[in-house]
Amino acid sequence: MVSAVVAFAVGVTVMLSLLLGDNPTLLGNMPGRDELARQIALPADVLLRLVVILVALSIVIGIANLLFVHVSRLAKGKFYSAVLLASFGFTIYWYVTRQGDTSLLEAVQLPIESALAALLFLSLALGGARVLDKRRDIWGLLFVAVVVVVLLASLPLAELAPLRGWSDWLMRVPVSAGARAMLLGIALGMVVAGVRALLGQDRAYRG
Amino acid sequence: MDEEFNWLEYSESMERATADAEDSASRRGLRRFLPRLPKLPGLPRLPRFSRPSLPGLPSLPRLPRLRRGAQASASAQPLASELLGGQSNRPVEELDDRLRALRERSNSGAPAPYQSLFDVDEALVSPAFQGKPGGVISAVALSKAQQQQVEMLKDIVGGPLQAPADDNRRLPRPTRLFSLSALPRLLGTALLILTASLPFVSSDFAEGELPPADFAEDRQGAADFYNKIDKVGSADYVLVAVEYGPAAAGELDSLAELLLRHILIRRAKPLIVSSNPIAIVHAQNIMQGINRSIPNVNARLASGEDYHLLRYLPGGALGLRELSENFADFARVSSRGQLTGLELKSLEDMALILLITESADDLRNWAEQVLPEVASMDLLAATGYAAQPLAQAYADSIPDIIGPVYGLRDAYTYGEKLRANFKPLLPADSDRQADVELAPISEPPVSGPLFSGEPEAEVERERATALPAATATHAPTATPAMTATLQPTSTDTPTPTATDTPAPTATDTPAPTATEETLLAVEVVSTQRVNIRRRPTTVDDVLGLGNPGDLYEVLGTNGDGSWYQIALGDGLEGWVAAFLVEEREISANQLAGGEEPDSASLPRERAVMRLDFTLRLGKNQPRYYQAPAPLPGARPELALPRDRSQEIPRLHAMTMGTVMAVLVIVIGNLFYAVRGLLRRRSPRV
Repeated sequence: MVSAVVAFAVGVTVMLSLLLGDNPTLLGNMPGRDELARQIALPADVLLRLVVILVALSIVIGIANLLFVHVSRLAKGKFYSAVLLASFGFTIYWYVTRQGDTSLLEAVQLPIESALAALLFLSLALGGARVLDKRRDIWGLLFVAVVVVVLLASLPLAELAPLRGWSDWLMRVPVSAGARAMLLGIALGMVVAGVRALLGQDRAYRG
Repeated sequence: MDEEFNWLEYSESMERATADAEDSASRRGLRRFLPRLPKLPGLPRLPRFSRPSLPGLPSLPRLPRLRRGAQASASAQPLASELLGGQSNRPVEELDDRLRALRERSNSGAPAPYQSLFDVDEALVSPAFQGKPGGVISAVALSKAQQQQVEMLKDIVGGPLQAPADDNRRLPRPTRLFSLSALPRLLGTALLILTASLPFVSSDFAEGELPPADFAEDRQGAADFYNKIDKVGSADYVLVAVEYGPAAAGELDSLAELLLRHILIRRAKPLIVSSNPIAIVHAQNIMQGINRSIPNVNARLASGEDYHLLRYLPGGALGLRELSENFADFARVSSRGQLTGLELKSLEDMALILLITESADDLRNWAEQVLPEVASMDLLAATGYAAQPLAQAYADSIPDIIGPVYGLRDAYTYGEKLRANFKPLLPADSDRQADVELAPISEPPVSGPLFSGEPEAEVERERATALPAATATHAPTATPAMTATLQPTSTDTPTPTATDTPAPTATDTPAPTATEETLLAVEVVSTQRVNIRRRPTTVDDVLGLGNPGDLYEVLGTNGDGSWYQIALGDGLEGWVAAFLVEEREISANQLAGGEEPDSASLPRERAVMRLDFTLRLGKNQPRYYQAPAPLPGARPELALPRDRSQEIPRLHAMTMGTVMAVLVIVIGNLFYAVRGLLRRRSPRV
């Protein structure tokens, strides 16, 4: 209950602080309005800084937790946990002893993650080839048709220039509409989630 | 009020469930290593809190109580399952369609048709399959919590489901790598890899047109993007947000590098930030790559001077909000925790904000959290292909968002445009070797105006400040060659003044002779400034910073030769890591005269006071040390050659890969569509 009260109080404070601090006109024409707005904005400023510091601290806690989890898994004989812990220790040792040498990032992590991204291309292409195996209906057909049109139109081949008009329309109208709809949905969802948290109906992270 | 949901009761129930779980489960994580603590005496209970009824608001539906007797899961996070547990007696009409169908089917006793509710079916009957050898499900070991959830789902949908004994179900089988059914996938994979690799092997497979050398007329946003960067000047700061990780490096590195080069050519200073810690490190490596490509060592960029890597920005959207409101504080600390020395007041001091991102979410965060805080500032968006649609929507809607420039093809166009406008500074690959040999020292950067639209006087001023620096800067190994190339230099600058471009004379540049005393020295070969420490360890105090090319007399080494003890002047001594420097044998004159023999006509090295922090446990005091000040005009013109050897093959590979992907998709779907039609006509018995 205490945490709920704290969350409610902090949430309302930040909301009002941001709302009035950034928009002094909402305070009317009272004398010293701008100074008052600055004072009102102060709590949000402080609290946001605290949140950022806490988030940064949570990264450290997350790393520590990860290590403890894998130490416990190591006790159960999990091989990959040993690999993880060894990699962690080696990277720290490398970074400290080589004065911040980041060649491991460029030589190991970047190629691996790039390779994974390349695998995504293969997976999508092979998955796209099986759409009509999994879903033989009008939507599956439409999906394949759109994919093919957009991919062909993206090719720098003069013979495919007529398709670019279709592709441009697809990107400009349905895709843009979908993107905007997602933005609207995200915004509305955030507003609803925020209001529910402020009213005490939702308590994230069991707070 | 009795019908209202009581948060306190709910919370207490949850706490009891959690406590039970913790008692019953083995001690995990950090607690394994801590001794058990005695329980604290009970605190006085707070008065019960009930959610007040607000007038005008509809009463909220009563949330379900915890399931009576629910076993706490081993994960101690039973929220979803326990809430679901209270819904076992929900009427059929309130259930989701799938759950309703499942319950009705269960009540009717009809066997579950294959492929209907496949996933749910599998989950619910999984315990019955545990003893069945050879199946997929038998290989899945359900945890205790998962079994409880399965039981709960059974309860919700109306009782236990039994696996039908003979319903001809085909359980999915694992596909072996080299089996007939895996053949299409293997074939498709091989074809995709092969076609995408061919352009790197042979130019015969260079299919497709290269991107244009300028942005098309219908890409006004991209053209504006270029022009905005092209207008920044030498006194400007550009905030560059590098918001992509290693997975997108292949797509965005070339674009990021070009944009940074453009900013640097314009003599503006990029301030690089990121909310991705890996991206900061990667950006640092990109800058080092740019630095290495500058043939003249003396012209190389210095971190903290020509560009800044600011500290990591945690907190996602909140971090960006904090950045926008407290930018002055943020910009004071570099990514390595050192002071940047930047005296900025707010984001308004930036000329531009440039965002390079792989994700539309990053663009949304920057547009929502940062852009409203800066009046009439442009946010330039450079994205990957995936983020382009949303970026385009933003750019079309918000005038302050410029772009987007995206992907490899735009990077190529940007590079071509940059090269066309700064050809002497970004030579073609074929010209590169010649430029490395001649360097920008011996060859004036341009014969006409350096930058389009830039006043001639400014160009001349830059040349005047650049050219003497070439003679003045260090690198003793290059001294003989530089002396030779200086002669045309003096003739290439038609209007030198006595103070600006001192003509080197034989007396000014004495070549080292065999009779002179030689000293063992080390030259800083790192592309960044290096720390000179009090003792040969990275945890000791930093006495000063050594710039790339600086020379120091060697006084000794540590035991394993990993550190050099060097003389800093004025009796000071320090240590520098061996891998950051290289040994040189130089004359005493070279060292005694500062770094250059002809420095008499130039301003002597000035000692400046720099403020630094040494962060140590229990000690955090500002400390002053001496560092050599950059000599005025000590930097020749930037020459930024760019290796583009892989750029065109990559574009062709993308074309070839896309062609093959389309073929695979079309042929695969035709095959499956035909097979489906044939099966429909001749159903299996």
